[in-house]
Amino acid sequence: MSWKVFLASATGKHHLDGNTPCQDAVHCVQLDAGFVGVVCDGAGSASQGRQGADFFAGAVSERVAAALRAGNLEPGLTGDGQECLLDIIESAREELGQMAQVQNCALRDFACTLVGCASSRAGGFFFHIGDGFAVHRSDSGQSIVSRPENGEFSDETYFVTEGNWREHLRITPLPAARSGALIGLMSDGTSPFAIDRGRTGFYGPFIDPVVHFLARASARDGNQALHQVLASERTYGITADDKTLLLALAT
Amino acid sequence: MSNVIPDVALIDNSDERAPLVLVLDCSGSMSEENKIGLLNDGLKTLEAELKKDPIAARCGRVLVISFGGDNNVEVMGDWTDAMDFKPPTLVAGGLTPMGAAMRCALDEIEAQKGQMRTAGVSYKRPIILLLSDGEPTDTWQQVAADCKSAEAAHKVNIMPIGIGGQANRDILGAFSAKGALNLSGLKFNELFIWLSRSIQAVSRAATGGTVQLNPVDSWAQIQT
Repeated sequence: MSWKVFLASATGKHHLDGNTPCQDAVHCVQLDAGFVGVVCDGAGSASQGRQGADFFAGAVSERVAAALRAGNLEPGLTGDGQECLLDIIESAREELGQMAQVQNCALRDFACTLVGCASSRAGGFFFHIGDGFAVHRSDSGQSIVSRPENGEFSDETYFVTEGNWREHLRITPLPAARSGALIGLMSDGTSPFAIDRGRTGFYGPFIDPVVHFLARASARDGNQALHQVLASERTYGITADDKTLLLALAT
Repeated sequence: MSNVIPDVALIDNSDERAPLVLVLDCSGSMSEENKIGLLNDGLKTLEAELKKDPIAARCGRVLVISFGGDNNVEVMGDWTDAMDFKPPTLVAGGLTPMGAAMRCALDEIEAQKGQMRTAGVSYKRPIILLLSDGEPTDTWQQVAADCKSAEAAHKVNIMPIGIGGQANRDILGAFSAKGALNLSGLKFNELFIWLSRSIQAVSRAATGGTVQLNPVDSWAQIQT
């Protein structure tokens, strides 16, 4: 079994109108019979949100992948494995904090959310701070989700750059992947049109044609097609936010 | 192979609401320099700006509270979705019961939040915009302290704005930890365009942190 991974980010209408760049970032590392993916959404309220998103998506996914290869992160993520994940996130925070100091910035200036997935032959886990959405749909159609955490107000959330990030890190174990399984990671710009009303999993009429197409597509064609869906003007009436989606198909 | 995926349906689950209370001075002095007329024009600009953006039209929830007359506070209609917002025509005359008007605004915000929670609707941090060209003619100190407490408890974002040279900026500033701003040159239209864009904004802030609205621009007078 292997994973076909596709990913795309589209700048939202709000940033297009303001001629400002997309604040989302996505990074994926493929492993033998597994992958690690991370989607980060830079905070619009932070001056370096986009850079923070880029950094955390890249640094965390690469380091989690390295730990999986080294056998330091077991799929169920209990005990030492959780400590290893916490250490990875903390070390990324420290590294960016040092870089921020050089730029006369603070770590909070790089505020971003983080939703990630690590999947290996024996299983995996979601790891999630703040908003965004993650879905694992098994070959039998059952879904495991990691929902956004916003607090009272929908325009406020939790960031990996905050001092209390450990309190808001949510880990969701995933079963061993089987052919036909599907994993999605997305920013909060994508979930309003890709997740069902009850927030129990993908919206079928959205995801089914996408998966049907991607199953037969090359990585390049699939990524381009996914970008077209996210950038479509049809999304403008639903969200003005940046839209990112990573989809992994178990084949 | 074509790179267009056919037959992709999008659901629309965006139920987010952005509550906005406008607390507007309609005391006698607002008739000078046609301030009340310019304010009425500004409200029409707000209506147009909210309605021309599909997301602002759907997520904005607006309530207008006027104060003036014989120490009268009037809630002008019910909470309205921005797409249905029809601004009232304000008439100037009488006193400036700002304290009672702000008390009413705080109460309305909490009641509206309760209704949205019951309905399972998510909402942004509410905004109270206070506009006045003078100073209160009622007791305001306790209400102002309660407004600051509500801000400190992250319940609401309050923006007091003075109109013209007679606005008591010190008292207006007592309603928010951020202090008050002054409207430059009666630029009501610019103010309401900015307000509409603040409602449309997609940025996320840290929970329990300071809300950052869009940077104030041409309508705000820079204090030197």
